[in-house]
Amino acid sequence: MLRKIFLSFVVLLCLSASSISLADELSARQVVDEFQNELLAVMKEGKALGFKGRYEKLDVAVRKSHDLPKIARIVVGKQWEELSAEQQATLEKVFSQLSISAYAYNFKDFSGESFAFISEEETGRGGVVMHTNLHIPGEKDVKFDYMMKKKDDGWRIINIIADGVSDLALKRSEYTSVLSKEGFDALIEKITTKINNYATQ
Amino acid sequence: MVHISWFWYSKAFFTFVLLILLALPLSRCAYAQDRSDQENISSGLEKKGDKAEIDPYEGFNRSMFSFNDHLDDYVAKPISDAYLWVTPGFLKHGITNFFSNLKDINVVLNDHMQGKFQQGAEDTGRFLTNSTIGFFGLIDVATDLGLKKHEEDFGQTLAVWGVPQGPYLVLPILGPTTTRGLPGSVFDVAANPSSYVGIVPVQVVSMLNTRANADGALKFIDEAAIDPYVFTREAFLQYQQHLITDGKVNASVDVLPLEDEVFGDTDSVMDKKADKKIISDNVVAEKKSLEIMNNNPQAENVDNQLEKAIADLDNGKQSSSLAQVSDKPERFSKKYAKKGRKARLSETESAVR
Repeated sequence: MLRKIFLSFVVLLCLSASSISLADELSARQVVDEFQNELLAVMKEGKALGFKGRYEKLDVAVRKSHDLPKIARIVVGKQWEELSAEQQATLEKVFSQLSISAYAYNFKDFSGESFAFISEEETGRGGVVMHTNLHIPGEKDVKFDYMMKKKDDGWRIINIIADGVSDLALKRSEYTSVLSKEGFDALIEKITTKINNYATQ
Repeated sequence: MVHISWFWYSKAFFTFVLLILLALPLSRCAYAQDRSDQENISSGLEKKGDKAEIDPYEGFNRSMFSFNDHLDDYVAKPISDAYLWVTPGFLKHGITNFFSNLKDINVVLNDHMQGKFQQGAEDTGRFLTNSTIGFFGLIDVATDLGLKKHEEDFGQTLAVWGVPQGPYLVLPILGPTTTRGLPGSVFDVAANPSSYVGIVPVQVVSMLNTRANADGALKFIDEAAIDPYVFTREAFLQYQQHLITDGKVNASVDVLPLEDEVFGDTDSVMDKKADKKIISDNVVAEKKSLEIMNNNPQAENVDNQLEKAIADLDNGKQSSSLAQVSDKPERFSKKYAKKGRKARLSETESAVR
């Protein structure tokens, strides 16, 4: 009898533990949903917040939903290996700032935009792609496909493909081109200029 | 919001005479180029080759790019700004619609040449609706009626027919194209009624309108691009590919090689994932075939179970027993071809777990 009670207790404990861990970890779709909602919320109060206010809010939202360190690695391709640890850290830092600044600058106000979930697709290598549509009143919908990868603590966006144009592939072409033609310092300088332009324009 | 298709608006004024003059000799050399590329590329929906293949004339292209850029800064932009300033919003909208409607004729032609007859019929309806109820195309009534604008041109048709993309080119005044896009544009110009209007103001308004619509996109490139030349090239080529495949190509395909290059997934992981994909594909296929049995209440039940099975696959619950079931997909797709699916599918489900 005691054994039975003990067993059922163990089972109960396991169940509750598993349900807690399941509840803790958001699905890929939830991560995208949450990020899009946060983005729309920032857009809605965009004017009141100003660039700095939008940046601060998006800083949290973007870092939470995007795997920025991984993206920073991918955009420089093979040349990542050739960078010193210090350079890698610098790149990761300014790249993250640039990504967040671009969001804060380009999503500055709200004119009825909305996101709609279309479908979820497995990529076959442990990733998923969330197909969504950005609806802008009076304009053609823009397809936003989020490529997601699972990190230790949940799903993260590693690429956004807008109407078939892959942000990661685009950046990678740009960054590798600048790196090989002008070098690391020039790349960092260009990124920093962009960040300043976003903040002041 | 900026639309991507404006990113490579050719940054200046052009005449159609110039276009044709330029296109004739270049399309001949394009043909030679294409032939030499044919060994590497089997169809128009090509894979990405390395950079040298895509942009062998980068030096020339870059200087043309910067030439166009300057021409735009000093000539086209000031005039376009003036046009924007004097033209009321509703008029600008009407003018855009008008020229867009004329382009729909070309869209219909290319729909048919690509064998998209359903879409061709829709686009014909679109053109007729807008040309009549829409006051000669000034108002886009068709979109509100659910007939969406499609983007088709002869460059895409050539791609569908299997003509390889060929090298990327930036032409003075005309902007980005490829050796395939070039003969494409000649056809598109020929199929556009506004090309035959001898009245100069019509051509000028058309050009001003194009530049004005591209304004936001050009500003976006200025703000976002670390290397505007590469940005424009990549966006142009990727968007072309998107149009050619009508956005149906697996959006992620393009990124996976980038990732592998950097992170080099281990073989075992890849195998597992591949197995998982096969199983999930089979479950999806099974689900599709079951959709046919929609009237059968039992089918719906099975459908739910499958949905659950797929969800489980997505959550990676079955990873431990993957090896066990990896040989099953083929077997179960045959096995469950007829009746008694319900019971067997739940068996599959548990096997997958």
